[in-house]
Amino acid sequence: MATVTIRNVWKYYGETPAVKDLNITCPDGSFVSILGPSGCGKSSTMRMIAGLEHISSGDILFDEQRVNDLAPKDRDVAMVFENYALYPHKSVYENIANPLRLRGASESTVKERVEGAAKLLEISHLLGRRPHELSGGQKQRVAIGRAIVREPKLFLFDEPIAHLDAKLRAHMRGEIKHLQRTLGTTMIYVTHDQLEALSMADYIAVMHDGELQQWGTPSEIFNNPVNAWVAGFVGEPAMNFLTCGIKGEGDGVSLMHKNFEIPLLPGQVRQLNGAAQTGVARMGVRPDAMSISMTRPSEAAIRGEIFVNELLGGDMLVEVELDDCRIRVKTTPEFAGKPGETCYLTVNRDKWHVFDAGDGHAYF
Amino acid sequence: MTDVSSLSGTSREVASKLFRARAHSVEVEARPRAEITHKPRKFNPPMPKHYYYYLMAPAIAILAFISLYPFFWLIIMSLQDVDIGGGEWIGLKNYTKLFTDARFIDGWILLAQYSVMCLGLQVGLGVTLAVVVNSSKYEKYLVTALLMPMMMAPAVAGLLWLFLYNGTFGWYHWVLQSAGILDSASILASADTAMYAIVLVDVWQWTPLITIIALAGLKRVPRDQLEANMVDGASPLRNFFAIILPNLYPVLLIAVLLRFMDNFRFIDSILVLTGGGPGSATKILPVYLFEVAFKFFKLGRGAAIALTLLIVTILLGKLLVRVFEKPQGGKG
Repeated sequence: MATVTIRNVWKYYGETPAVKDLNITCPDGSFVSILGPSGCGKSSTMRMIAGLEHISSGDILFDEQRVNDLAPKDRDVAMVFENYALYPHKSVYENIANPLRLRGASESTVKERVEGAAKLLEISHLLGRRPHELSGGQKQRVAIGRAIVREPKLFLFDEPIAHLDAKLRAHMRGEIKHLQRTLGTTMIYVTHDQLEALSMADYIAVMHDGELQQWGTPSEIFNNPVNAWVAGFVGEPAMNFLTCGIKGEGDGVSLMHKNFEIPLLPGQVRQLNGAAQTGVARMGVRPDAMSISMTRPSEAAIRGEIFVNELLGGDMLVEVELDDCRIRVKTTPEFAGKPGETCYLTVNRDKWHVFDAGDGHAYF
Repeated sequence: MTDVSSLSGTSREVASKLFRARAHSVEVEARPRAEITHKPRKFNPPMPKHYYYYLMAPAIAILAFISLYPFFWLIIMSLQDVDIGGGEWIGLKNYTKLFTDARFIDGWILLAQYSVMCLGLQVGLGVTLAVVVNSSKYEKYLVTALLMPMMMAPAVAGLLWLFLYNGTFGWYHWVLQSAGILDSASILASADTAMYAIVLVDVWQWTPLITIIALAGLKRVPRDQLEANMVDGASPLRNFFAIILPNLYPVLLIAVLLRFMDNFRFIDSILVLTGGGPGSATKILPVYLFEVAFKFFKLGRGAAIALTLLIVTILLGKLLVRVFEKPQGGKG
């Protein structure tokens, strides 16, 4: 159990910075997910925490102890690798027992702990096998078993379920989350899958281009993204962005577009202060924060033409063509519009976002 | 969706956008194809079995001429008392005499000593060198430098070392003498040290082979396993024995097999350096075989020794493969 503090950490590969001035504090016992696309520096960060990469500058602290110069074996962390990294020449039992043996545990402790871990992960019947005789999901459980058997200070999971099929992945998401709750050990979980991060983590650190974009709970990340990049990366289907003009002064400010003019809610006008001067902003609306209808519900509705309908089982995704762009709206499968027909979109203004047209930071 | 005609005016534009990709592919499909003028020939028509034997016959004939004929002739020779002039059938006498031949027995013992020393040093040094080279940023240059001894013909290597070991002007002799290891006699001149001298030459020439092979093996040691073991709590040394070495076993097997069979065959440098002497101190079995067959021209006896050597080589090779192929470590 440990609080992990990452303080002003930089990582350079040659001249290229992979992690830029990262500051994160993972509270004791929490499940923290580092989320970002490939190449954003999330794996480098995890490897620095594990001690597998040199820290170019800055400090990493476990509780109050600076661990920069500790070898991986002295950090008391357990890691699950993307490719499981099982030892092919050892049985499942010996794979799980490895961390205990390396720390000189007695034979009876090893037996007890390995069997305990195997039981927790429901792999007791596999202990005698070798890794090449296991399926992907079983290998992944063995890798987790090897991590939990030692009761370390910190778990590091590096995209552990990325290689499983979709159904098993959904199942393992629940299992890993339950496991972390049961053990109560701090966990840092690296993933590029925003669904994994949103569904499992207590806190999410969103990274892009080596920089921390946002730190927050899943609902904060989803509902109040700090910039357009986070807003676009989190959420499936992705958020729609429209570049709009800003018109009006005082209380009567509205967003202008070729297809529509929508007034802001009173509270939002104040938040938009800065952008009013530039006269442009980017509006962001999630597909489920809009409703679609075939008749004009109000003056503020957006007029468009249906481009294509996609039925996604319980939902229908409608792509609507405006004059200069297309946006996607989520609706019910009963929606009767056909491609080519005119439709009207109503934005739920409690749930929309406005971002700066330049640097992309969020006004609200 | 596909019924384009039922759509209204504007929607036709939409439809044309939607189906643009498809229209394009139709266009491609519609291009005229090259005329097919003949029926494609069947690739592997079934042929009667003797057809394949005819195809193989030249290869088998050549193989029989250069390999099988001498081999069977060797067996026949080993059952005869052969001199330059001709042979006389003596049955298994050549073999039975070997058991009472002290120099034959000594040859085996010396060969075992020589081979074990060579292999042990070469594998130990070779793997160590491979690890060093692998972690060096000058890897490319080091590999080139290491390859040089291997490029040399063994007899030339023998001459080179004969020069270096020379008791009057040999540089190594001078070094060893200055260090107090040797007295004024050359290392090759003493029955106690001559064996070490020939082992050193073999190690010098062939350790690079083990290094190169081990280096190739090191390249495919999975990095994530190493890292997992480090996080699990292994020191670099334990990491080497737990992960790197087991991953090297298959390639080391090949290296050891090659080298051990070479040790049983390559005597060029020994013949140049000591010729089996002083006394019989370095007369390992292949050297003795050379002496019997080509100095005394007891070809029948030589053939018997050669066959014995061949059989033992095959058996030992099989044994080595069995030992190395056994999965390492782990219980249950």
